[in-house]
Amino acid sequence: MVTLTLEQGRQIDIKRVRDPRAKRIKLSVDERGARLTLPTRASLVSGDRFLLQHHQWLLAQLEIYTGQDALPVLVRETTAALPLRGESVPLLWHEGRYARLSRSEQALHFHAPARASDATLRRALREFYEAEARADIGRWLPKYLPSLPRAPTRLRLKVMSSQWGSLSPDGSLALDLALVLGRESAFEYVLVHELCHLLHADHSRNFWREVEARFPAWRSEREYFHAEGRRLKGSLRTLLSGQATDAT
Amino acid sequence: MFFRNLTLFRFPTTLDFSQLDSLLAEVPLKPVGALELSSRGFVSPFGRDSEELSHRIGDSLWLTVGGEDRLLPAAVVNDLLGKKLAEIEQKEGRKPGGRTRKRIKEDLVHELLPRAFVRPSRTDALLDLEHGFVAVDSSSRKSAENVVSEIRHAMGSFPALPLNAEVAPRSILTGWIAGEPLPEGLALGEECEMKDAMDGGAVVKCQNQDLQSDEIAKHLEAGKQVTKLALTLDDHLSFVLGEDLIIRKLKFLDGAVDQLENTEREDLRAELDARFALMSGEVKRLFVVLEAALKLSKAEA
Repeated sequence: MVTLTLEQGRQIDIKRVRDPRAKRIKLSVDERGARLTLPTRASLVSGDRFLLQHHQWLLAQLEIYTGQDALPVLVRETTAALPLRGESVPLLWHEGRYARLSRSEQALHFHAPARASDATLRRALREFYEAEARADIGRWLPKYLPSLPRAPTRLRLKVMSSQWGSLSPDGSLALDLALVLGRESAFEYVLVHELCHLLHADHSRNFWREVEARFPAWRSEREYFHAEGRRLKGSLRTLLSGQATDAT
Repeated sequence: MFFRNLTLFRFPTTLDFSQLDSLLAEVPLKPVGALELSSRGFVSPFGRDSEELSHRIGDSLWLTVGGEDRLLPAAVVNDLLGKKLAEIEQKEGRKPGGRTRKRIKEDLVHELLPRAFVRPSRTDALLDLEHGFVAVDSSSRKSAENVVSEIRHAMGSFPALPLNAEVAPRSILTGWIAGEPLPEGLALGEECEMKDAMDGGAVVKCQNQDLQSDEIAKHLEAGKQVTKLALTLDDHLSFVLGEDLIIRKLKFLDGAVDQLENTEREDLRAELDARFALMSGEVKRLFVVLEAALKLSKAEA
């Protein structure tokens, strides 16, 4: 961490990381805050100089992120709604013998014992999201299976930092858990995209032709991810980590 | 012959198995070659001396994937390699380079392989064509996947999906201990594993333990969740169901096995046939119960 102090006495914390793959010094901002990436051979002083040089740009970028809506946090008896399938669903809290989160027609119900720790609540939330995601996948997958050479060997839902999904050479399919927070069509598109990698393990023209044939509206879903993707990933991260991240 | 573990996969019930026997005949188990490490292929469920490569009773199909693996421990190869290298160093006064090393190692493996022991193995699978599931007698996901890919190899196409539960298995298992009603036919056993919600947190494993006692209730209150749970089905089956949806320690209890002993069988084949009939019926019933309880997704639209 480095701290940049500006004229008005305002301080900004910037995460400093060394990346052996980095070609040059890079300053970036996302919902987790500012980050200064240094190549292995760059000196710390040159990094600081770069930071000072570009502090105006940094302030402008941070401004954009503070203007956005706050991300949801999971707090017992306080959190009144959770994101699910592109909507904010009301959440009701109950006392229970074990921690579980269930869904009824209009609302989500969180049952938790009085002594349950935050980790228990977050685990229950994670499992709820995974079950909801699996329900969606279970609904969509059979539709696409007949036209594929083989089925995925394994299906995992993970919290991924930048990808939305991946397909390993052995056919194991991984999807980002944050997909279930966004709209359903976007989730389905990512599933189709990864399944098409069973046909072509690349992003060639042939690959996109297969995607197009199965999911003609993929472009609008990709735009959705460009616009909303960061917020979805950020929401899941704050919900499951228990810490509200603050850009400033 | 009764299966002791079940790793399940689902496939569409529309799949056509009518050509199966001729397809299996094209990929039988071949003896492992002198310079091969392993070989896989189908063998007869009734033992390697029998002819037929599958056995079908009603909607239940019994397949067996046989294997032969050569046992060549790495330690044996490395030990001999070390000796050979030391010899060369003595003679030439310098350590052989990486490339020479690699060549010598390959030569050694070539020399040792034909003399290595061959370990035979078999993994059985039960296919239920009515509900569309494969139950592989293995608790290892990897070897179960291997059996499925052997079937795919034989049939050309076999879209088998690993089980997909549309509810959180942990929360279902925890609920059963915490007093939620169990599905019809299921009863709690006396074994479970509970884990703290945090990754790397506390783990409690208990056996021969009344699962509805105060001790267990205390763990529940502290927020622990059940990750493995012993259950019985109608005094016919007992098993341990894990959050990974693999069924372990499957045992056929007196309630089921009693039906077998009433009749005398003249030979082994008839005995195996009767046992398979019994087992496939029980596993089918178990699957139907679990399918509803865990909301397992179907493989067809």
